[in-house]
Amino acid sequence: MLKLENIEKFYRSGLQKSWVLKDVSVNVEQGEFVTIMGPSGSGKTTLLNIIGMLDESNSGSYHFLDEAVHTFKERRRTDIHKHYIGFVFQAYHLIDELTVYENIETPLLYRNVKSKDRKAIVADILDRFNMVAKKDLFPSQLSGGQQQLVGVARAIIGKPKLLLADEPTGNLHTKQGEMIMELFKSLHDDGMTIIQVTHSEKNAQYGTRILQLMDGFVRADEQVSQQTTIVS
Amino acid sequence: MFYNYIKIAFRSLMKQRGLTAINILGLSIGLACFCMFTLYAIHEFSFDKFHKDADQLYRVYRWTEDLDGEGVEGDTHLPMPLGTSFASDFPDVEQMVRWKSAWGESFVRVNDRVSRIEVSHVDQPFFEMFNFPIIYGDSEQPLSDPKNVVLTEEIAFQLFGEENPTGKTIEIQFEENFESFTISAVAKNIPTNSSRSFQILGSMDYFASTTYGKRRMNSWNSSFLGVFVKLRKGSGLATNAAELLKFRRKYYPNQEAEIREAGFWDGEGAPVTYKMQPITQMHTEASMPGGDVPSINPRNIWTLLLIAAGVLLIAIINFTTLSIGRSAGRAKEVGVRKVMGSTRMHLAIQFLTEAILLSILSTIVALVLVSVLLPYFNQLSDRSLAFSFSQFPQLGWIVVCLTIITGLLAGSYPALLLSRFRPTQVFRNSIKLGGSNMFTKTLVTSQFVLSSGLVIATLVVLSQINFMQSKNPGFEKENIIIVDAEETDSREIYPRFKKLLSSIPEIKQVAASEIGLGEGNGYSRSGFEYMGSIKQIYEYYVDDDYLTLMNIPLLAGRGFEVERQDGANRSVIVNESMLTDFGWTLSDAVGQVLTGYSNEGNDPVVIGVVKDFHYRPFRELVKPQMFHQFEDYTPFKYFVKINAGDPTQALSKLEQSWTSIVPDYPFKYSFLDDDLNRFYRSEKRFSSIISWAGGISIFLACLGLMGLAALTAVNRRKEIGIRKVLGDDVFGIVGLLSKDFIKLVLIALVIASPLSWYLMNNWLESFAYRISFQWWIFVVAGIGAILIAFITISVQSIKAALINPIESLRNE
Repeated sequence: MLKLENIEKFYRSGLQKSWVLKDVSVNVEQGEFVTIMGPSGSGKTTLLNIIGMLDESNSGSYHFLDEAVHTFKERRRTDIHKHYIGFVFQAYHLIDELTVYENIETPLLYRNVKSKDRKAIVADILDRFNMVAKKDLFPSQLSGGQQQLVGVARAIIGKPKLLLADEPTGNLHTKQGEMIMELFKSLHDDGMTIIQVTHSEKNAQYGTRILQLMDGFVRADEQVSQQTTIVS
Repeated sequence: MFYNYIKIAFRSLMKQRGLTAINILGLSIGLACFCMFTLYAIHEFSFDKFHKDADQLYRVYRWTEDLDGEGVEGDTHLPMPLGTSFASDFPDVEQMVRWKSAWGESFVRVNDRVSRIEVSHVDQPFFEMFNFPIIYGDSEQPLSDPKNVVLTEEIAFQLFGEENPTGKTIEIQFEENFESFTISAVAKNIPTNSSRSFQILGSMDYFASTTYGKRRMNSWNSSFLGVFVKLRKGSGLATNAAELLKFRRKYYPNQEAEIREAGFWDGEGAPVTYKMQPITQMHTEASMPGGDVPSINPRNIWTLLLIAAGVLLIAIINFTTLSIGRSAGRAKEVGVRKVMGSTRMHLAIQFLTEAILLSILSTIVALVLVSVLLPYFNQLSDRSLAFSFSQFPQLGWIVVCLTIITGLLAGSYPALLLSRFRPTQVFRNSIKLGGSNMFTKTLVTSQFVLSSGLVIATLVVLSQINFMQSKNPGFEKENIIIVDAEETDSREIYPRFKKLLSSIPEIKQVAASEIGLGEGNGYSRSGFEYMGSIKQIYEYYVDDDYLTLMNIPLLAGRGFEVERQDGANRSVIVNESMLTDFGWTLSDAVGQVLTGYSNEGNDPVVIGVVKDFHYRPFRELVKPQMFHQFEDYTPFKYFVKINAGDPTQALSKLEQSWTSIVPDYPFKYSFLDDDLNRFYRSEKRFSSIISWAGGISIFLACLGLMGLAALTAVNRRKEIGIRKVLGDDVFGIVGLLSKDFIKLVLIALVIASPLSWYLMNNWLESFAYRISFQWWIFVVAGIGAILIAFITISVQSIKAALINPIESLRNE
């Protein structure tokens, strides 16, 4: 599904280059659930942003669904991003002025989905996430777990091929975190490709593959054994 | 999608109520100012365009080249036979109307009650040519009978109340006798945008039958009425200089040769000719006299519009700077929306929608403000404007365009800036904005350049006016009451009145003059050839006591006392400026003869010299001037000097005396110092307009500053918290937050001072007697601006400085 080759990313500060990613090459196949792990500052979020086309690498190539993303102009990238990728954030990043319903609806607006269809799609997902009763509340009226639920609903409303999550449970209690991870797992079981960034070993076990980053290098890339997942 | 934009716009406006209120308040004040000035401008430019064939209507005038050193001159007063000859000589003239304006007020008697009303005379096709609709009576040819008159609605009401007066008789005094006239029609009140107006309209045929009219009916040498013509469609006569000159030469065959012979003119073209002015330009061609409403220089209209636009701009800048200041708070939303697939365009449209929504709300508030403030504005502008979409349909689209443009101007930079944010930067918290933005600083500075510039201008205008009103004009102006005796049999009344007043203790002295001071033209002028050069002299006809009553000091010779006995005389008293102009000195002036003044050989002889006094406004240099004693002329204005103090007693005794002598005529009076202040009416109006504009712009600029200071305090919350933890106190933090803004105000003052100095010096140049530009004006304006700005900011910064640092540091 996506193929990163020799990705490098650095920031200039004065004459010094400070490296964030160095020579990263990764392949992710359709249907995988990849976890990116590593200590703070190892480049996890940057890698996720590059995959999500929110950021550009300084060098290297990036193919998404066999298209060379690194050669695209901003507009085309936004377009791909809009149609194939969903994002979930640690801090939820809901829009405070919009209700639950409207937050979930927003990506559809940017995809020019007709009003009638929008209503049906949003109603569907509210139902699936058991949030119908809360649809007219504002984010500030929800608990963290519920906010993140809305965040996930919003990320998948456009039926993306790839779901990216940056520490989705980082701000949540354990219980709420588990609920979100279970949700991810069921999405994965339905065939969604997921890439998440996390610090938590436990959350990593929900996935199928772990990518260890250290100082901008890929230190390890291993499959998660089904047994361990069940045991933990 | 669009509905969604509006919804979000509403919610974010509601969420930031304080800022929204500041923005709406500011924008609506700015818009209200601009709307009123626009209305004023539309009204001024609409003058005389309501006549149905306005583009075919012209006013004929005489054009004289600069023959006497006083500049070129367009005179709209023309001789009686000119109109008829003009119409018969030029086939292009479809209709012609001579319009003799009223000379002051006439006495009009209805049911034994006498009122003072202006009576004008016009030719028959008047109502066909001009659009002054008739509401009662004969609407076709109301003036077909010479003894018919037409009243305006207002006058009809004043004389007859609600009833329809057509067919009724009124009496008007002509040449000392009351004559009866029949009211044939009542015309609708004259629109406010008509240069020419009338109260009672009589027939030109009647005027021609009066002694005065008969004498001038065929005279080409007495110019006193206006000539209006309607040209055939597509006629080029108005611009055909050759034809018009031919006409002039036909009726004044020898004049040009005489002027050239006398050496007054050696230019290429003719020294005198006729020209035609489209009536639609009567009001806005400043070089020509207007109608009854003084003509206005379009430059002044544009200046006012520019000032109003400046005020609006300040409000728009407020919106922009506040939006930028707030952008940190909106950055997250931008980031999230972009991640969800929004393009820059979507976001820009969203933010622009917000701005336009705000400007729509502001326009609504502004329209309410306009309806409340218009009466005050009318006082300032000396107009009676109404914000009426039916009178000026163009107001509709102007308001709509103004709203959209204001929204776009205010919203476009914030939209551009906000939509540029990249999600990765937003989420990394690497966006720094607020008061430190260079663009914001420039905008805030320009706001203060504008507003402090206006304040400086106001101070200059006010001190110039104060100077002109308080400077000694060279005569006594306090405690003098002018009694208006125009149109009465004054020659008979005056001695009786004077004698009666001499016994009243409150009254010190009584004198008379042909004209008052400070009203109308306030002088009569004559030109003659003295020893080979043309002289222009202002002349006043006065009685024996005038100079002593007015306390005008004699420098040489004597006053008019001796002539008291011998009546008819040729003695004149001249002023110092006339000495200089005529090349005399104080020692040889007395006894000089003004040769060439009169054709009949009785040239005036100088008997005295007075010190120059300012009979004209301080705008003008004192010019050569002289006093005559009454001879043919009637003393129309009585100057009554009363004891200092409360004038009510003296006034009531004056009125009693007046009524006892002339019971039929209403008593009309004014105070001399009030009359003189009328010289400065336009300056006063100008000063009140710019002082209002200055006050409003300072207020708006401070409103913006307040919002910005509040935002800065929020954006720098963490910094303030850390500083407090490190031991900074409230003063330190207020200083920290105020310093940056005060710096901007200082920069603004540095820019505004030389600019306003330059502009106001230009303005002052138009006054012959003026204040010198004083440095204290800059100091006052500067200290004022800084103080106001500082107070505005410190309210916010003290609040920020008092927050407990634990709270501001907790959430980071």
